[in-house]
Amino acid sequence: MTLAQSGRWLTGIGLLLLGGVYVRALAFTPVELHQGPAQKIFYVHVPAAWSSMLAMGLVGLASILYLLVRDTRYDRFAAASAEVGTVFACVMLTTGPLWAKPVWGTWWTWDARLTLTLMLFFIFIGYQLLRGAVTDPALRARYAAVVGICGLVLLPFIHLSVYLFRTLHPQPIVLKPSAPSAPPEMVTTLLLSVGVFSLLYLGFVIQRYALGGGGAARNV
Amino acid sequence: MADLLRHAWLVTRKDLRLEFRSRTALTSALVFTALVLVVFEHGRDPTAVPTLNLAPSILWVTFSFAAMLALNRAFQAELENQALDGLLLAPISRTSLYWGKLGANLVFVALVQVTGLLLFMLFFNVPVWRVWAPLAAVTALATVGFIAVGTLFSAMVVRTRFAELMLPVLLLPFLLPPLIAAVQVTVPLFAGRPLSEVAGWFRLLAAYDVCFVTLATLLFPFTVTE
Amino acid sequence: MSEAIPQNASFMVAAYVVTAVILLGYAIALVRRTRGSRDS
Repeated sequence: MTLAQSGRWLTGIGLLLLGGVYVRALAFTPVELHQGPAQKIFYVHVPAAWSSMLAMGLVGLASILYLLVRDTRYDRFAAASAEVGTVFACVMLTTGPLWAKPVWGTWWTWDARLTLTLMLFFIFIGYQLLRGAVTDPALRARYAAVVGICGLVLLPFIHLSVYLFRTLHPQPIVLKPSAPSAPPEMVTTLLLSVGVFSLLYLGFVIQRYALGGGGAARNV
Repeated sequence: MADLLRHAWLVTRKDLRLEFRSRTALTSALVFTALVLVVFEHGRDPTAVPTLNLAPSILWVTFSFAAMLALNRAFQAELENQALDGLLLAPISRTSLYWGKLGANLVFVALVQVTGLLLFMLFFNVPVWRVWAPLAAVTALATVGFIAVGTLFSAMVVRTRFAELMLPVLLLPFLLPPLIAAVQVTVPLFAGRPLSEVAGWFRLLAAYDVCFVTLATLLFPFTVTE
Repeated sequence: MSEAIPQNASFMVAAYVVTAVILLGYAIALVRRTRGSRDS
């Protein structure tokens, strides 16, 4: 079985399981009393966030490894992980405001989590734009690795700075969508969803890796 | 170590000398800064919005523009004249080259910021003089943060297509923590709050600077080696 | 004080639909791209 085929199988299974998660989340998980049905967005938003941060972490790791040993497979993997990470970041950034509006009363707020997710998205975009703008593969790999490492190191700072921002100047919030102190069904649904999203990450990355690590979707 | 600093200083001096001979970038940066401040001054209704609310944001927008302008000029001249290759052949380490560039950019930005601040004090009736020391400190810290990463990235983007577009896009996520911290310090400073309230932000800025100057120093050689 | 559960299911549906569209869309795009550059 080729790499692309195994990736497709994993993705296919992942998507089927995603359907299962959908059914479980929508029909078989209790509705949260204060937030209402919108709270269930949690079960797609959080795993998407998890996947995009996993993607960024692996981009950073692969970047470091590339600069150390110059194995182009690491560069190829980083490119794949960045693209997949962008997809999950899109899910995160669309489901986030859809959750925020009914629960917080506003589509957006510069709270730690949201700002972090937006900046993560920009790092992914910048990383891929840079890859697209450099024609020489070796140069591209080096440049991308530099940005990938900086992006990885940046994440804890973004979280810290915006978190400090919130605690020093607390803003009135309508309702706080913290994790439900949880009926076990909710926890299980969340964990299942995280597992499925991780599987999808894997399937996507394998396929994207199989395409090659170029700036666009052509083989290197 | 002494060699490192000496070589870095040579690079800084060369850059600054070049800049002062032509003065084009400096002049345009100063004019632009003045323009931004004038626009803000005329754009607000003094009876509706107290200056104190807007002042930190205006100041930091101005300072950020100054930083971006400095970065845009950083490697441009080198690339146009193929001088970058010459620099790389010189018997100085990559680290010296980076610190030299960093130094030159910082001096350039500082000049623009000082001028901007004076104009700011002129236009906006904000009690800056009382808090000039902490303000200078936070400005220095935040600016080092932007410019450290910016100098690293400008070395890369100058060899890409769409360089002028690439730099701001890449840099945006890295501008955010120092910028937030800086504004969060400036707001209470202008309002006369005690310094102890903003100590946490200063720590964050210092940590950011140490971390990213180190990281950029480590990564810079990868952007210029063949 | 008893509150009614908020009636915001439309947001939930929107979010689930958007997620499915993005993930399915990307999955399909990947399949097309991998089929395009390989002969399998």
